[in-house]
Amino acid sequence: MTEILRTGASGRTSLASLTGSGQGVLGILLVVLCLGISAAAPQFYSEANIIAILRQCALVLIVASGMTMLVIAAEVDLSVGASLAFVGCISMAVLNATGSLTLGVLAALAFASGVGLVNAIVVTLFRVNSLIGTIGTMMLLQGGVYLFTREAVQNHHQLASFTALGAGYAGPVPIPLILAVAIFAVCAVTLRFTTIGRYLYAVGANERAVRLSGIRSARLKLVAFVVTGLCVGVAGLILASLMNAGQPTAGRGFELTVIAAVILGGTSLSGGSGSLIGTLLGVLVLKVIDNGIIILGWNQDLQMVVPGVVIILATYFDLLRSRHHAR
Amino acid sequence: MHDDLALFAEEPPMAIDIAVPALEMRGIGKRFPGVLALEAVDLTLAPGKVHALMGENGAGKSTLIKILAGVYQSDAGTMRIHGRDVAIKSPRDSLRQGIKVVFQEIALIDEFSVAENIFLEGHPTDRFGTIDWRKIRTDCADLFERIGFAIDPAARTGSLPVSQQQMVEIARALAHQASIVVMDEPTSSLTPKEVKLLFTIIRRLTALGIAVLYVSHKLDEVFEIADTVTVLRDGRHISTRPIGEHTDDSLIQDMIGRRIVDLFPRQRGPAASRVALSVEGLSTRKLHDVSFEARAGEVVGFFGLMGAGRTELAKAIVGYDPIRAGTIMVDGQWMTPHNTAVGVGLGIGLLSEDRKVEGLMGELPVYQNASLASLGRFAAHGFVDAGKERQAVQTYVERFRIKTPSLFQKVKNLSGGNQQKVLLSRWLMLGLKVIVVDEPTRGIDVGAKSEIFGLIDELAGAGLAVVMMTSEMPELLGLSDRVVVLCEGRVTASMSREEATQEKILNAAIGSQGRASHEFRV
Repeated sequence: MTEILRTGASGRTSLASLTGSGQGVLGILLVVLCLGISAAAPQFYSEANIIAILRQCALVLIVASGMTMLVIAAEVDLSVGASLAFVGCISMAVLNATGSLTLGVLAALAFASGVGLVNAIVVTLFRVNSLIGTIGTMMLLQGGVYLFTREAVQNHHQLASFTALGAGYAGPVPIPLILAVAIFAVCAVTLRFTTIGRYLYAVGANERAVRLSGIRSARLKLVAFVVTGLCVGVAGLILASLMNAGQPTAGRGFELTVIAAVILGGTSLSGGSGSLIGTLLGVLVLKVIDNGIIILGWNQDLQMVVPGVVIILATYFDLLRSRHHAR
Repeated sequence: MHDDLALFAEEPPMAIDIAVPALEMRGIGKRFPGVLALEAVDLTLAPGKVHALMGENGAGKSTLIKILAGVYQSDAGTMRIHGRDVAIKSPRDSLRQGIKVVFQEIALIDEFSVAENIFLEGHPTDRFGTIDWRKIRTDCADLFERIGFAIDPAARTGSLPVSQQQMVEIARALAHQASIVVMDEPTSSLTPKEVKLLFTIIRRLTALGIAVLYVSHKLDEVFEIADTVTVLRDGRHISTRPIGEHTDDSLIQDMIGRRIVDLFPRQRGPAASRVALSVEGLSTRKLHDVSFEARAGEVVGFFGLMGAGRTELAKAIVGYDPIRAGTIMVDGQWMTPHNTAVGVGLGIGLLSEDRKVEGLMGELPVYQNASLASLGRFAAHGFVDAGKERQAVQTYVERFRIKTPSLFQKVKNLSGGNQQKVLLSRWLMLGLKVIVVDEPTRGIDVGAKSEIFGLIDELAGAGLAVVMMTSEMPELLGLSDRVVVLCEGRVTASMSREEATQEKILNAAIGSQGRASHEFRV
């Protein structure tokens, strides 16, 4: 992995080819990782392990799909991790109280999109930089969840349909993976083929130009924040189902994994460029690294260290890319 | 302001041999990946003379002065300064050789005082080896006294207007005993009065024996200040002649390689009587009670000096900025202020003065830039019909002769003129009734300018009302049907094309402060 990164950074010519197809390089990185890990540990290619990796990817991919839209519009949401935990607790509490899956799901989606709405208002109406504004909501939510419950909200309703949400299968395919693919597809189509998608790129590329063209940029950003919130709602439900409880401590650092995946996928933090295919590759790379560390029997603490290194390298590459284009 | 050059004669900053050229560049070449930026360019500066360097954007002017400044290194050629062979490998080398380049983007530290900035590269120290702040203050005050600057050395640099910051940059050249001063488009943000002051200062520099390289594309300035003109085109040296041998036509011909017979083609017929835009009693933070009308098929030109409120007016009438009072009617319908969505819906749009910041989406392809305002037209149920969209853009690329390798080219890679055409297409694809153009030819080559003028004429001819904000007198007089003059946020004159003269316009633009201090040439 480091080999590839090094040659990529070494000179202008290789940099040019790298920027020409950033996703190509990411694809190669993914293949090299898979080959390397499976050479050392053949069980990497077992069906069970592949399903496990994909299931791991599902949660991140769901939220990263919304986050990609947001980052393309030159905003970011750091509250998704804290919101994820809160959503789990709230949905579990509602399920316990009502015994209705529909109400539990609605509560989760309503809460999470509400968080997105608040973020949108803070950013578009109060004009607070989204990095700072969403750190604010993140802290609000992290504290708020303890005001709501000091310990995990246990599953007292025992609804089979709720358990299926996280742990169920349709044939050999885990249900979370199906949800992730569906959300990914909707977001990808939206970004690529619809006017809203095109406007999101435009807002990220030059918000003033968009405003002067008579397009309500604040509404577009609001859409992106709320969509990200909805994604968190779905992910929070899956997580609560998987853990069979609403954990107030869940989701710590989740926002960073999501953003790392988005940036790694070539979406620029300065907005206006990026794609969901890239984000998909970013998620896969991060999760294959995670899985490799476990399978190879390395120290599990490296699961924090390696993504940390990847975040730095990814941002560095983002910089190189924009510098290269600025020339 | 002191006018006595004698003050300088008392203490010349350096001994200069007038017979030896201050700078000789021979056969300078510079290649960037894929582009030959300079090829065998010669340039000789005589001490005590102003040498103008002219050329269109992309001609190689910037590359050449960046080589002088040590920002770039040349691939070929030799340099001699006062007869000595030199190699300039870094900005530091350049300064040490007595070259001071005043770039368009000012390189001062905003938070520092003026005096600190002046002595930034060599703080005088006292006997304890610490910085001698008092000496910095007094030296700076002395320097300003000698060259007639009315700037407080203790002022925070960032609080000064751009024009004064530029003066500080020039003063820095003197403080560092520069013998060669390069000025890159120094007047682009100056008012006529400040230009006059700048020219006085340049003459003082030359009286000291300093060689000045004056980079500009403004003909009137070059004719006023330069002794010799070198023209570059496509990275090559085209001509070096004494200014006396040049006319406007010959200079333009050298710069663009052909003659522009008529810079302002006027093909449109008379304006209709229908009022397309009517502004009544408009006031904002900067504007006071501005009223005017623009009829369909008419170009209304607004002139004003820097700070007169041209851009503020442009942004207020299209709904980009809030207003305090007044009404705006577009095609007979009342427009909600501070709402561009309503404005664009009614058919009024702005071509901003700052293409990069308020117009272009640099990273996005040409076709997406062109279709931004009208994207809804190419969509059904929220899905964009990309084929239809690109086809529509393609017609405009052909109609406006936009030079781009493909519709997918990032718009930032196009030249200024072509970028402006893409932005004009954005509005035309939508079909506006009123277009407000703010400094439509800023930063655009002479050749492309004429094309933009032609397009504006065509727009008016097609029945649009054009409201044009400009600080360029030739543009104003060449294009407008009516001229409105702004001064300090108020309309101080309004006249027809026939009544308009430079003198009347300038007097109105200067308001009560006095007569025009700067000669404009048309």
